[in-house]
Amino acid sequence: MIGAVDRPPRPSLLRARAGEAAIFALPLVIFLFLLYAMLGWTFYTSVSNWQGTAANYSFGGLKWYRLMFSLDRFWVDIGNNLRWITIGVVPTVVAAVLLAYLLEIGTIKGVEPYLRTLILYPAAMSFIVTGTIWSWMYQPDRGVLNTILRGVGLGSIASGYTTDPDSATYWLILIFVWQYLGMSVLIVQASLRTAELQEMVESATLDGASRLRTLLHIIVPNIRGGLLVVVSLLLISALKVFDIVYVVTFGGPGYATDVLALHMLIATFQQHLVALGAGLAMVIFVLAFVIIIPYTIYALQRWFD
Amino acid sequence: MRKNLPLRILVLATVVVVSVVYILPVYVMVLTSLKTPLEITQRQYLVPTSSLQFGNYTTALRLVWPSLVNSSIIAVTVTAVSVFLGGLGGYFLSRFRWRISKVLFVLLAIALYLPYQALLIPLVQIVNKLHLALSHAGLILGYLILNVPLASILMATFFFSVPRELEESAEVDGASRLQIFFRIVSVVALPGYASAAILVFISVWNEFLLALTMSSPYTTTVQVKLTEIKGSYVALYNLQMAAALITVLVPLTFFLLLGKYFIRGILAGALKG
Repeated sequence: MIGAVDRPPRPSLLRARAGEAAIFALPLVIFLFLLYAMLGWTFYTSVSNWQGTAANYSFGGLKWYRLMFSLDRFWVDIGNNLRWITIGVVPTVVAAVLLAYLLEIGTIKGVEPYLRTLILYPAAMSFIVTGTIWSWMYQPDRGVLNTILRGVGLGSIASGYTTDPDSATYWLILIFVWQYLGMSVLIVQASLRTAELQEMVESATLDGASRLRTLLHIIVPNIRGGLLVVVSLLLISALKVFDIVYVVTFGGPGYATDVLALHMLIATFQQHLVALGAGLAMVIFVLAFVIIIPYTIYALQRWFD
Repeated sequence: MRKNLPLRILVLATVVVVSVVYILPVYVMVLTSLKTPLEITQRQYLVPTSSLQFGNYTTALRLVWPSLVNSSIIAVTVTAVSVFLGGLGGYFLSRFRWRISKVLFVLLAIALYLPYQALLIPLVQIVNKLHLALSHAGLILGYLILNVPLASILMATFFFSVPRELEESAEVDGASRLQIFFRIVSVVALPGYASAAILVFISVWNEFLLALTMSSPYTTTVQVKLTEIKGSYVALYNLQMAAALITVLVPLTFFLLLGKYFIRGILAGALKG
């Protein structure tokens, strides 16, 4: 690779190159600067005294964090967000790996493009649209699922879905899984299709390894990179989840399905506890930051090898 | 082929299950959107009947039209600017491999997954201070802050696959970096620009949190409008579904016609970035 690093340039040439580089990098740097400045601003707001509609940046220390940790609603949020990032992610990844593998080994002509398009189209839709559709599916009285169940004589297992406080969050998570499965399959498929892996699978098959063994002992360990990407992507999306909850239940019944992101919006713009809202935003940010550390290290290695 | 019989059955079973799970919601959505409220109350929306209510779409379209215009203005502007600036930034990341590029890359990787919540409060403040609250500019600024980094990473991955020999020979001929970038690299990477543009467009079109927070009568986007319709026409599922279908028409058309670029964009963002 011939780059700036390995060519020893004359000083004037170096200055010229720095000038050129600045033209390319400057817009990006400006936007990144804005972004991190705003992040710092949010953090500062979270340790200020700001409540009410007028901005108040006098220093308030950690009192809003103390209030946050004392709120029952905050711990409901944490519980629900944990449900989202476990139940929203693990089954999706497992299903995506199985589906991708099945499409590799057992595909009948035409099945693969059909299924891939079918499960991927929700990726182009917004959570608001999927939420609207699924609200209709879940509607307990006239909704689609219960109407079908009653129609085939299974009315006894008709459910309240998102109106039942105990299971509502799980029904919401199901929408998320439905929407993200296609994208997960797509990424797993791409990491399955490397030449090295295909060779390993071939020789394992010649050695008489069963398909399940091949999947568990050869494929899964060798698509670690792709899996890390899928898992990180899903974890972050599940952590940030807001739209689905907003449109389907708005956190209800009560605040049984509330999540950090919705609480942040309500605290900031409805209760006007802006410092508390900023604190909730910082909690979401810190959790997201922790989640993407392994991914960032991996991506960095791939880029600068 | 007897050995493969169980496998074939498994594949066919998968096809059936996946088909039902992914077609049913859309099937019901389309049929419901063509029904009268009475038919819906009587739970007669699972099979088509002779009197399809296409008028529902006229009503729904009248409701969402201003927000369709808003969403289009915002999404097109953000896409154009992000992809242009992202092209410049991506070229820097892919060709100027200095230590500072590494720092920039880490800052970018974090920025890509930054929750919008972390920017919301300052953004509202800035937009109010600049008196942009009633214009599209506030939302456009907000979206640019997250989409310029995204487009930069995407474009960088596409520029990596542009052969350097092209640039070297142009350099020998005395072309400047900017000329090389605009006349050669960008032209070769045009499909990459298409992928980045589709991805940015769809994500802006579908974004909700920012659009909701900064919503004003003049800037309501189509997603926000859809939740308003859902809230104020609670029992009118036919209108809700018609409006939802209109909302999804634009991104879905992109997906069906330009799916190849969409998929490449997702993979570029996911695997390399």
